[in-house]
Amino acid sequence: MNHRVAVTGVGLISPLGDSSSSLFSALCDGRTGVSKLQEFSSNGHRCHLASRLPDFRGERYLSGRPLRPLDRTCQLATAACGLALKDSGWHTEERADIDFALVLGTMFGGMHTIAEFDRAALTSGPASVSPMAFANTVINAAAGQAAIWHNLHGVNSTVSGNSASGICAVGHAADLVRHGQLRTVLAGGVDEFSFESFVGFERAGSLCNDDAGPECPIPFDRRRNGFALAEGAGFLVLEDLSSAEDRGAKVLAEVKGCASAFDCSQGRDSALAIRTLVRAMNAALSRSGFAPDDIDFVSASANGSIPFDCIELTALDVVFGDRGSELPVTAIKCGIGEALGASGPAQLAAAIETFRTGRLPGVCGLQELPPGCPLGGIRAETIETPATSALINAVGLDGHCLSMVLASRDN
Amino acid sequence: MRDQAANRDNATQLRSDRIVVTGLGVITSIGIGCEQFWKALLAGNSGVGPVEAFDTSDFPVHLGAEVKTFEPGRYVFHRLPTQIDRASQFAIAAARLAVCDAGLPISDSEADDIGIVVGTTSGEPRVIERFDDHYVAGEVKNIGHNFISTYPCSALAANVACELGIGGDVVTIPTACAAGNHATAYAFDALRSGKAQVMVAGGADSFSRITYTGFARLGAIAPNLCQPFDLNRKGMIPGEGAAFLVLERLDHAQIRSARVYAEVAGYGLSCDAHHMTAAHPNAHGGVRAMELALKSAGVDPRHVDYISAHGTGTPTNDRLETIAIKRVFGDYAHQVPISSIKSMLGHTMGAASAIEAVACVLAIADDRIPPTINLVNQDPECDLDFVPLVSRSHKVNVALNNAYAFGGNNSSVVFARCGA
Repeated sequence: MNHRVAVTGVGLISPLGDSSSSLFSALCDGRTGVSKLQEFSSNGHRCHLASRLPDFRGERYLSGRPLRPLDRTCQLATAACGLALKDSGWHTEERADIDFALVLGTMFGGMHTIAEFDRAALTSGPASVSPMAFANTVINAAAGQAAIWHNLHGVNSTVSGNSASGICAVGHAADLVRHGQLRTVLAGGVDEFSFESFVGFERAGSLCNDDAGPECPIPFDRRRNGFALAEGAGFLVLEDLSSAEDRGAKVLAEVKGCASAFDCSQGRDSALAIRTLVRAMNAALSRSGFAPDDIDFVSASANGSIPFDCIELTALDVVFGDRGSELPVTAIKCGIGEALGASGPAQLAAAIETFRTGRLPGVCGLQELPPGCPLGGIRAETIETPATSALINAVGLDGHCLSMVLASRDN
Repeated sequence: MRDQAANRDNATQLRSDRIVVTGLGVITSIGIGCEQFWKALLAGNSGVGPVEAFDTSDFPVHLGAEVKTFEPGRYVFHRLPTQIDRASQFAIAAARLAVCDAGLPISDSEADDIGIVVGTTSGEPRVIERFDDHYVAGEVKNIGHNFISTYPCSALAANVACELGIGGDVVTIPTACAAGNHATAYAFDALRSGKAQVMVAGGADSFSRITYTGFARLGAIAPNLCQPFDLNRKGMIPGEGAAFLVLERLDHAQIRSARVYAEVAGYGLSCDAHHMTAAHPNAHGGVRAMELALKSAGVDPRHVDYISAHGTGTPTNDRLETIAIKRVFGDYAHQVPISSIKSMLGHTMGAASAIEAVACVLAIADDRIPPTINLVNQDPECDLDFVPLVSRSHKVNVALNNAYAFGGNNSSVVFARCGA
């Protein structure tokens, strides 16, 4: 027997605030977290924009115990998990007797910690490294630290699907609840901005740049020339709907279904890439028992990437056909940037706010869609649109294509 | 006991969603491919030797279990050397061997229903190590355009998918040294829920300076021998390798007349939520994982015929694992043969529980149990039957595979003879 999967809590630390409502009001107001990168001198870099959390302090969210064993990635994840638990109404005492699970998605884990650990050994010798730092060099360190902090004794998993890791985690966790393997699970993702990831993405030509005009990390915009690298953490509490209702929890939304497909051309063959994303979206819809016409809006994965935004546009056109001319589509990476593991959970958090408020944030900064754009519902302006269902896309930069149907309790 | 067996038979016959193992592929320091690997394992061969991957003169220890005869060109046909690093090469090779062993052609029509799940501890650590070499030398400008596509751990599953033409669910599970078991569990669920027709599940890790540095700093690396459960054991020995299993539903295997090695009967996962690198002294998490695995498999503990221990050779792990096994199995703990193949392969990190899964499956197929080598003076605190030194003929219908990891992760998977 399949269980229905309820979202009962959201915890978010994003460049646009540390709650769903602060993220959402910024998106609706057309504010962006993308700003001039302060850290590095612009010498030698073609990208000068990023979306960061300069003021994040773990102590603000996590108190009573030393934070020193947790690196920044661990602190972000642990803090966002704490916010989600609080939002879900699960109290520490009530959780003591159940196997609360955690499924965390991440592209890099603590890459900066790993690199610093290695560089300390290179420069000062292997005996000089910190054993405490070594503990955080495993990619599942954030999941382990969050479990210790919040006393989570159930399944503790970390999954990775490139920049789609957050939806990988939520989709996997939702399936475990749906099929009765888990009753309560924290699911989401984390990635921090690091020197290593910034340099890496820049070398690969993925970031917005000033090569031929102004930097433009605006999803779907004709002028787009790459994404702005971001950071953050976002987690949802998922539980089976009847248990959630039994304990009197507020049900924010339901995860109806998720699907994953892989493009072996990794975006190089655009026809195959489009077919693969179409396959993921159609599978997510059919697993959810939804037709394209049942979807009120799309939260796109688009982040300003030249090839991938176009692939997604065409794939949406294929799936939604004639509806494409009016289907409302938003792309919140205009505001938060590409937060990798945290992107998908932030898209889910924003979609829940759309269900609640009937407002769909516009793609801030959008001036002009690409020529021949088949979709008519991508706007710069925030619109009023009562909505009870959404299709959420997450497209990895290496071929991972995920799609998820989220619906409000009223759907 | 007969009743229990009858119950299990009834339960399994009623289940149409039995998940079976139809293909195996391994890349290890003692052998490549199942046949070579199993022969070496039963012979008690050791893959341990002086580390060649990097200079260990600044370390107090110098041994590792590296794969020394590996030729990536024999397995990697489509990915370019600039696109992939060593762990991906291992993963591709082991996955290709498993798919060949399963007699599974990946045609365009089926590719979308096949998934790949790769467990790993470090992903591609050598890529970040090269980054760091450039950084320390003041040559950040030499960091290549392919750093960001080759480094992330998700590249492991992506590379295998690209190489084999797999278009379904592609995911990497970086849950440290329990990752191989996590991958099997993920595949088991994906198949049971009908999300995929076939899952290729396993683990891969390459020998890494970062891992070696960390374990050396913890004082966890043995200077001479990996001696699980021995009174004089002094630690683990880092290793490398990969293993994959082809998993599918029994009816799917029967339709294509595939050979069935064994069944994945169930799994259990738990988290200590106690300490990042040390197991909880009450061993409760390990007990919980074994109990959940046996319960989900519908197997009475007394019907377990072989336990593949996590058995790293560190003083603490082996003592606590012994306590956990006793807690789960009671008096029967003294009767069930247990071995640690890490005594031969060292600790291959995220690959370890995948390689050990292959050993469990082969133990069922061959009714033989690989030994714990270097176990000459058994620790009185580890007073179970650890199959010391020589392999043993033993009827194996059910095997239990334990793996524990940083982050307090505990995992157990039950494999069982299929059919009968």
